[in-house]
Amino acid sequence: MNLLDAIFADIALMARPALFNIYFAFAAIPLGFLFAVLLALGKASHNRLTSAFSRGYIYAFRGSPFFIQLFMIYSLVLSLNIPLWRPWGISWLMLSPLFLGPAILMLNTAAYTAEILYGALRTIPKGEVEAGRAFGMSRLQQFRFVTWPHMIRIAWPAYTNEVVFLFHATALVYFTLPVIDNQQDLMNKARELFERDYNVFLHFSVAAGYFLAISLVIFFIFRRIYRRLMAHLPAEPDRRIRYAPRWL
Amino acid sequence: MVDLLPAWLADGLGDEALFWFGYLTDGRHLAWYSSVQFTLIAALLGGLCALGFGLLGAGMVGSRALPVRLFGKAYVNMVRGVPDVLFFLFFPLAFEQGVEWMASSVICSPEDIAANPGRWPPCPAANWILGTWEYLLLASVSLGIVYGAFTANVIHGALNAVPRGQIEAARAYGFSASQVFWRIRVRQMWIYALPGLSNVWLLLIKATALLSLLQIVDIVSWAGRLGAPNFTPSAGLVHPDWRWYYYLVLLLFYVLLTFLSEKGFAALTRWAGRGMAVAEARA
Repeated sequence: MNLLDAIFADIALMARPALFNIYFAFAAIPLGFLFAVLLALGKASHNRLTSAFSRGYIYAFRGSPFFIQLFMIYSLVLSLNIPLWRPWGISWLMLSPLFLGPAILMLNTAAYTAEILYGALRTIPKGEVEAGRAFGMSRLQQFRFVTWPHMIRIAWPAYTNEVVFLFHATALVYFTLPVIDNQQDLMNKARELFERDYNVFLHFSVAAGYFLAISLVIFFIFRRIYRRLMAHLPAEPDRRIRYAPRWL
Repeated sequence: MVDLLPAWLADGLGDEALFWFGYLTDGRHLAWYSSVQFTLIAALLGGLCALGFGLLGAGMVGSRALPVRLFGKAYVNMVRGVPDVLFFLFFPLAFEQGVEWMASSVICSPEDIAANPGRWPPCPAANWILGTWEYLLLASVSLGIVYGAFTANVIHGALNAVPRGQIEAARAYGFSASQVFWRIRVRQMWIYALPGLSNVWLLLIKATALLSLLQIVDIVSWAGRLGAPNFTPSAGLVHPDWRWYYYLVLLLFYVLLTFLSEKGFAALTRWAGRGMAVAEARA
């Protein structure tokens, strides 16, 4: 059938662009998570300066649209090209969308993840930390053996949603950053195909299908990890990861 | 605008301050400031649409008829897997094409259509050219569709959060099913829905930054134009690439909008929760 052929042709055409979305998301996750842990600890810190910086950072990045952050950081990096990047010889890296995209996504997701982790941090029973201290644990050991395991278990369902949202945010990257050769993502490819034959239903639906399928895979993987994290706890009737959008 | 300043103020400000005042109030900057209206209109209209779609969606999810319930669930879950920007682009384009298709079936003669195989629109006469306001309306509706799904989730949860005792009390007083729904459930749910609605609203105002994707010359496109480097003195102040200053201003604008919204919703929550035990427990 004609329509079916067209759909399969689109699926084949968008397989490579989908890899760019996946790359953007997964390049941003590890550093973003690390930065988020630091920010969450910073927000909970007793040090006035650290706490104020973390709070300000989290509020600014969660209170403004990712689209504007992309524009702002990209134009900032561009204007620093002549004074900084070129003398240092790293223009090729700093101006590459494949570096900048994940970098800006990382700054954004760190703020959202930090808020999730901070919320989890506040639920840790004081008694557990006190018990750790009574055992003579150092601050680092307290974090490693008491705070961290508790925090990650509480935060995991919300973090799952954050990762899916991060993946969706990758759709915006190439609206701002330059598209070099055939380094296209799903939205860019869908728009290019749309401009060719104006078939909005076909191309956007296939792109949406890709986003949906990859989101489901993310949910599946994160649910498996969650089961592992909770394996030692008695089974509760309902421990599915529930979808909840980025609640502030 | 410099001319409008009273003389004592113009003298007191000094030349440099006057120069910057003049720069920031030239025609292009004034156009930038006035384009804030598009953002605010899209946010308010989109918010209203989202509330409407949300109530509708929550009604469908809670419906007893299976097809309606399934449709409602599909709608509410749609935002789970697909980015909002995709809907935001898709809906206006699809709507435009739908209107053109309907127009073409009336206006276009078969010969015109035969002369234009595989093209869109089928004949030039059926081409619908949208202006800023049409796009703004379509953008508001598509914001409403996307964030209506979030709202439906919130309202569905809030309707179920109304204490059963109140509903049983209403039934015991002889209220009919629809009276229980409208006079107890819908009246009482707002206090449970407000925290969620506040979050949806904050997401929605951030999504209004996307208006420029629909060819609306909004604050984002103006910031790009004003900050772009200018090397011709006749076009105004000669300056290098200043875009990131302008985008920083936009960032602060949105942070301010978020801050004000949070304050507004806090006041609204206090108002909706007056006299309710649950609000005191939360506060």
